[in-house]
Amino acid sequence: MRTRILARVDVLQVVDLLRQQGYEVIAPFAGRGRDTFFDTVTNANRADIQIHLPNPYYPPKRYVLPHIERLLKVQRMNGGWQIEPTVAAPKRAIFGLRSCDVAGIWHLDRFYLGRDFRDSYYEQRRQNLFLVNVVCTDTERDISDDCFCVCADTGPAARDHFDLQLMDLDDGEFMAVAGTPAGEALFASPIFRKGTAAHVERRHAVLSEVRKRFKTTTSWFSATVRYVSQGRILDKTWEEIGNRCLECGGCTYVCPACTCFTVSDRQVGPDEIERVRIWDACALSGFTRMAGGHNPRRAVHDRRNRRFFRKLAHYFIQRELSVACMGCGRCAAVCHGDIGMPSVVEMIRRATAAEDKLEPVKP
Amino acid sequence: MNAAVDNIYLPKLAVLDRVVDEIHEVRTFYWHFEDAEEQRKFRRFRPGQFAQVSLFGTGEFPASLPPSPTEDETFFTVKRVGSCSAALHALRPGDKFAVRGPYGNGFPMEDYRGQNLVFVAGGIGLIPLRSCIIYALAHRDQYRRIQVFYGAKSPRDLMYLPNLREWEQGAGVEFYPTVDRGDADWKGNVGVVGSLFKKPGVEVPVADTVAFVCGPPVMFRFVIKDLQALGFTDRQIVSTLERYMKCGVGKCGHCCIGMAYVCVDGPVFTCEQIKQLGEDI
Ligand code: SF4
Ligand code: SF4
Ligand code: FES
Repeated sequence: MRTRILARVDVLQVVDLLRQQGYEVIAPFAGRGRDTFFDTVTNANRADIQIHLPNPYYPPKRYVLPHIERLLKVQRMNGGWQIEPTVAAPKRAIFGLRSCDVAGIWHLDRFYLGRDFRDSYYEQRRQNLFLVNVVCTDTERDISDDCFCVCADTGPAARDHFDLQLMDLDDGEFMAVAGTPAGEALFASPIFRKGTAAHVERRHAVLSEVRKRFKTTTSWFSATVRYVSQGRILDKTWEEIGNRCLECGGCTYVCPACTCFTVSDRQVGPDEIERVRIWDACALSGFTRMAGGHNPRRAVHDRRNRRFFRKLAHYFIQRELSVACMGCGRCAAVCHGDIGMPSVVEMIRRATAAEDKLEPVKP
Repeated sequence: MNAAVDNIYLPKLAVLDRVVDEIHEVRTFYWHFEDAEEQRKFRRFRPGQFAQVSLFGTGEFPASLPPSPTEDETFFTVKRVGSCSAALHALRPGDKFAVRGPYGNGFPMEDYRGQNLVFVAGGIGLIPLRSCIIYALAHRDQYRRIQVFYGAKSPRDLMYLPNLREWEQGAGVEFYPTVDRGDADWKGNVGVVGSLFKKPGVEVPVADTVAFVCGPPVMFRFVIKDLQALGFTDRQIVSTLERYMKCGVGKCGHCCIGMAYVCVDGPVFTCEQIKQLGEDI
C-alpha cells in the first residue's frame, strides 16, 4: 500500500479536499459528556471535528443502511397505481471511521451485495461512499474498556477496505495509507510528503503500545464459535443469558454488523403511500410472529440465542467470511442487562468450563 | 459494482381477474401481470416457490404458488389471517395490486424422475402441494406411482373441488381423501390423514419414493412419525416451511431459522435438513 506523511495541523485539510471534490463529508463531533456523534461537516462546524474521541454509539452504518429508508413511492392513479422506486445516492465521505466500523461496512457489503440477490438501495449508497479510517491510537479518548477489536481481528488499525487511512504517529505527524486508487489520488495534494523508514518503525511502535491498552479480551471467541456451531451450549446457559435481556433492541440498533430490517407501508397523502424499511431487532417479540399469531420464537431466550447464533455460528462465518461481530463494544456499553458480546462469550466460557463434558477424569 | 442492478424490492402491477371461494376464509385469486413480458417471465416458476404480494397501504406478504407452471393461469389461494390477506380478500375483479417473485428454491421435481411420489396434505397444506401434483400429472410418464393423501377437518373444508374430482376419477393418481368429522353425505374415510396409510387396500410404496408433507404443525409431526414407521428416511421426506417474511430475498432476516434463511435456502427442505437447522420450527 502507498503511504505518505502529513503534519497534524494539516489533517483536517483532508476533509477540505474531499469537500472540494463535491463530497458531503461526515465526521465525528463531541456532544456533552461521553456523547459523540457523526454529522455533516459545514463551514461553521469544521473546526470542531474530533480526531480522537470515543466512537459514537449510533453507528455509521446508517450512511449505507439508513435507520428509515424509503424504498418506493406509490401513487393511486385512475384505478391503478404508479410505483416509483426511490433513488438516493449522495456522494459522501465518512471521515474518522474507526477500524471496527470499516470492518462493519465490509461485512454489510458482503451481506447486501452477496449471495443470490444484490440490494440496489445499499449498492447505490455504497458506490458513492468514500471511507477515511482513523486509527485508534489515543489510549484515553479513542479506546474504551468495552473495545475488543483486537480479539475480533478488526483493529486497532484496519488492514483494508478503506479508501484512506490516517494514523497519528504522536509526534506532530500522521501517516496516510491509500487503500484504493481514489484514496491515492488525494496524495496529489502538497500536504502529503513521502515518509521514511523511521515513520514505518514509528507506526509499528505506536500500534504495539496501543494493543496493550485493551481490557476486554474475549479470548474465548473462537472456542465460543465452536460451541455455538456444535450446539454444545446448555439450554440453561441460553436461559440465563435470555433472562437478562429487557428486549429493548438497543444492541442491534447500535451494532455495525446487524442487518435485519422490517418493511412497512405508510400513508403520506390521500392517494400516496410510501414503502419504507426500518431497522429491526431479533430481540423484539414481534420479529418472527406470523400472520395469525403463531410465533415460533416465543421465549425471550430463544430470541437472545438467535442474535448470538447468527453472529457466531460457523455456518454463517463460512458464508460471510467473518464473525458478524467487529468487536466495537457498543452492545456491551448500551445493554442494561450486561449481556453484550463480551459478557456472553464470558458466560458461555464459564458455563461450559464448569460442565465440561469432555473432561476425561470424572469425579 | 454494477450500477444497473435490478431493484429486488420493486413489485410489478397485477390485475385481479376473478375470485373463487374455496372454503371458510380461503379464496383463490386469479390474476395476471399488466405487463405481458412480466407474465411470461414469472410463469417460469417451479412448484414450491412463492411470491411476495403487495397491497399498497397495507403491506406485503408471502403467498405460495398453487398453480403448476404447466397451467395457463396464475393464481394465489389465500386464507384470511392478517391485515394483508384481508386486504387481498377485499379486492374485486379488475382491482390492481402488485407481485414480485417467484422466490425460493422450490421442489427439485427433475431430481425425482423415475420415483414414486406420495403427497400428504393437511388442510391448506394442499396449496403448495397442488402445484407439484398438477406438475407431476402433466409429466405423468416421468414418475412411477403418484398418491395423494388429503385430510381436512370436515367435507366443507375440502379445497380445489374440481381437481379433487379429477383425481378421484383416477387420472393417473391414487387419491385418498379423509376428514376429521364427516357429515350426512360423507361416504369417505373419517380419521386423521396418517391413519390412511394402514387402511386395507392402501399400499404406500417406500423404496424409490419421495413423500411431500404439508400441513399444520401437529399434523406434520404425526405424519412424519407415521411415514418413518413405514420405513421412510428423513431424506425421503420433503416439506415447505412457513415463516414471517418481509423481503423474500434473503436480506431482512425475519424468516431466519437456525442456519437457514427460509426465503432463499427454502422454503422446501427435506426432513433431514429441517432437523439440522439448529432451531425448532
Ligand atoms: S441491549 Fe441488552 S437488554 Fe437490550 S435487547 Fe440487547 S441484549 Fe436485550
Ligand atoms: S455484536 Fe456488539 S461488539 Fe460486536 S459488532 Fe455488534 S455491537 Fe459491536
Ligand atoms: S424474508 Fe427477508 S430474509 Fe427471508
